[in-house]
Amino acid sequence: MDLELAEDRLFFQQNTRRFLERESPVERVRELHRTEHGVDPAWWQRAAELGWTSLLAAEDDGGGSLSGNPVQDAVIVAEELGRMVGPGPFLPTNVVISALSAGGSAGLKEEHLPGLLEGSTTAAWALAEQGGWAPGDVRTEARVEGDEVVLTGEKAYVEAGAAADVVLVVARTGDGLTQVLVPRDHPGVTVVPGHSLDLVRRFARLRFDEVRLPGTAVVGEPGGADGGVERQLQLALTLQSAESVGLMDRVFEFTFAYMGDRYAFGRPISSYQALKHRVADMLLHLESAKATTDAAARALDERDPEVARLVRIAAAYVGDTAVTFIQECVQLLGGIGVTWEHDIHLYLRRATLNRAVLGAPEQHREQIVVRLGV
Amino acid sequence: MTSTTTAGTASSAGTEDVEAFRLRVRAFLAASLPRKDERSGPVSMAEAKQLQAVLFDGGFAGIAFPARYGGAGLTLEHQTVFGQEAAGYRMPTPLAVSVAMLAPTLLDHGSEELKSTHLPRILRGDEIWLQLLSEPSGGSDMAGVLTRAVRSGEQWVVNGAKIWTTGANHADYGMCLARTDPDVPKHAGLSMFAVPLAHDGVRIEPIVASDGGTPHFFQEFLDDVELPAGNLIGELNNGWVVARALLYHERNATAGVGHGRGYRAEADAGAATGTGIDDLIDLARAAGTTGDPVARQLLAEAHVAAVVARQVGDRVMTGIRTGAFRGDWGSLLKLGMGIDAPRRGEIGLAVGGTGAVVWDDGADDGAHDDVDRHSVKWLTARTISIAGGTNEMQRNIVSERLLGMPREASDDRTVPFRELLSRRTAGS
Ligand SMILES: Cc1cc2nc3c(=O)[nH]c(=O)nc-3n(C[C@H](O)[C@H](O)[C@H](O)COP(=O)(O)OP(=O)(O)OC[C@H]3O[C@@H](n4cnc5c(N)ncnc54)[C@H](O)[C@@H]3O)c2cc1C
Repeated sequence: MDLELAEDRLFFQQNTRRFLERESPVERVRELHRTEHGVDPAWWQRAAELGWTSLLAAEDDGGGSLSGNPVQDAVIVAEELGRMVGPGPFLPTNVVISALSAGGSAGLKEEHLPGLLEGSTTAAWALAEQGGWAPGDVRTEARVEGDEVVLTGEKAYVEAGAAADVVLVVARTGDGLTQVLVPRDHPGVTVVPGHSLDLVRRFARLRFDEVRLPGTAVVGEPGGADGGVERQLQLALTLQSAESVGLMDRVFEFTFAYMGDRYAFGRPISSYQALKHRVADMLLHLESAKATTDAAARALDERDPEVARLVRIAAAYVGDTAVTFIQECVQLLGGIGVTWEHDIHLYLRRATLNRAVLGAPEQHREQIVVRLGV
Repeated sequence: MTSTTTAGTASSAGTEDVEAFRLRVRAFLAASLPRKDERSGPVSMAEAKQLQAVLFDGGFAGIAFPARYGGAGLTLEHQTVFGQEAAGYRMPTPLAVSVAMLAPTLLDHGSEELKSTHLPRILRGDEIWLQLLSEPSGGSDMAGVLTRAVRSGEQWVVNGAKIWTTGANHADYGMCLARTDPDVPKHAGLSMFAVPLAHDGVRIEPIVASDGGTPHFFQEFLDDVELPAGNLIGELNNGWVVARALLYHERNATAGVGHGRGYRAEADAGAATGTGIDDLIDLARAAGTTGDPVARQLLAEAHVAAVVARQVGDRVMTGIRTGAFRGDWGSLLKLGMGIDAPRRGEIGLAVGGTGAVVWDDGADDGAHDDVDRHSVKWLTARTISIAGGTNEMQRNIVSERLLGMPREASDDRTVPFRELLSRRTAGS
């Protein structure tokens, strides 16, 4: 996290951490594993009261960031969530809130933002299809018919898609993209719920069979959503990177502590140079992951012309680094590291999931070279 | 060339606002320094001296040094801003050792007389200093130096040998670590001296590196080198503290932070507008691999590493400034460079293919001479992971000093040096 947090942001961070430690310790996350949606709606509402859902909405829409840098504020929550492998639709709900606040009609905002902001409803963002995460691969079609829009197609890997009240669907209209806000229980919508490697993060497949909605359900202009989708993807990747940084941060903490307590051959394992050197490399990777994620968040807030590249640099770096880093900690823990009992697998699960969702490092790297003009 | 505000006025009314300073730097650089083209070849020492004089005369040399020693009287934050702005310009990189490692150490520990005599000259590039630390018997274990300094009347007499000294062909003075008391544990019997390299008792021999190019490091034989008592830097038998300061500044300068910010311009260019990998892209273009998915992944990896190195450098600088980070954080960055550099070399080999190792005589392929070729540089790609403290030493520092992990078990801090020495000879 940013090393220059002003006092109000520091306070927000500490509050977020205390809330998670009190109301969502890792034992609780394990319990949620056995529930249908992996999250307690009442808990989510309390999280919303702490400001988790208002950072990325404009003040006129009932939101407001702490510092005037909404993404850098949201990154604080994402990192803390990572530290506790927390539950809840933080990423998708905030992506949809930011999209609605930036491009939704007055009517659409009025209908949906209050519930999303107070946490009584949640949202999902449906970008990927079976082909993958690239917006260019979207095949789901949004057809404009008079003052209605008709959706047909199938979206895959929709985070929190089975529990969400509304889904922001990325579809194609001619050469351009269209985003349509669809109530999940709307006629013609079929939900196939699914699980993931993560204990509490659920995904769904959503089918849209001639789903007919008023034209006002379109966020922005039909066929004109390419820029908005890219910005939302940048936001989502940055929040995801921040969450993975939080995972690394906490795993490093408990592994480091364990190394001081664990004795082998009459001395703490932290005294062996072979292990000290690996820990030194891990500190380098941890600080680098923090630095590049903060830089991505800053680039988004400052509308840096290079933001598309900087976000993918963070996503590529953190995506790969987090999983290797956590497996390295498994090694340092020894046998206990590969047990159900030890918490580290919850972190490895989340990091491994993050590596593959929203595009993998391999895809981000390809985007990076394209943006370098190669 | 226009001359802008001088160092004196910059700090006359309290410390200058960094953003105002940035604008002043920007105007000065645009008017006074040549722009950098990543393919235009390295800066020679002669050009470096000219560039340094331009910086000095403009009030931008030794930005965080007090004005009375020729500096600008500002802060390291100003130096950072300067570095960010200087990314696109040819900078006096070959003087980084003298200006960003030796000068700050002299500022920390030199006597008033040494500082007022030498610092203005060093900062203007008129006098060049280097480090005489490593010896043939070992570099990592720097406190184990064998070079002796013995007091004789009003003088010190130094005898011994130093090795791997970068740039001894250009330098005027060396900061030389010598043993002044062998009967105490090794760290407690060291002192640091200013040694004029033109002294009759100093013999300098070049060492040819594995690239076969013009030698850039050297070996020195010190034979009854008499020094005035005033050439002692810091207190007698307190040389280890001075050496630690030197290593601290060295790691920062190598990582492109601290007083050296701006001297390694390529580091800033990586995160700013340049790719930081233009040379690798050229290699891939020449080899026709830019469409190959594996090569593309590798190019992106190198770019990501270059940008992230800069980002973590900025983070460490911020942490040092706010007090969130204390101590040898430059070691963490130095370690990162020592890991990245060899990997970058490997990536060049992969994207460059056979053409990177076989070439036509006289080919017009952008290489200025053979040592400029990627595969030849590859031979010395481990330089950064060895010079200035090896990766292993940085890992020791990071784990022990930054993270507080237990030190390696050794009695070398308690046993008199003479006894350690007898073990060494007994073992060989
Ligand atoms: C290009 C270049 C420029 C240089 N410039 C200068 C200069 O200007 N002035 C100067 O004084 N020196 C200079 N050096 C010397 C440099 O600082 C030393 O080479 C370096 O410190 C390593 O010392 P060494 O070569 O004696 O290796 P050694 O100390 O013998 O080390 C050999 C190997 O053992 C490892 N090792 C040693 N001790 C430990 C330990 N405790 N734990 C784990 N591993 C260990 C090392 O990491 C290394 O891999 C330069 C070197 C190079 C390559």
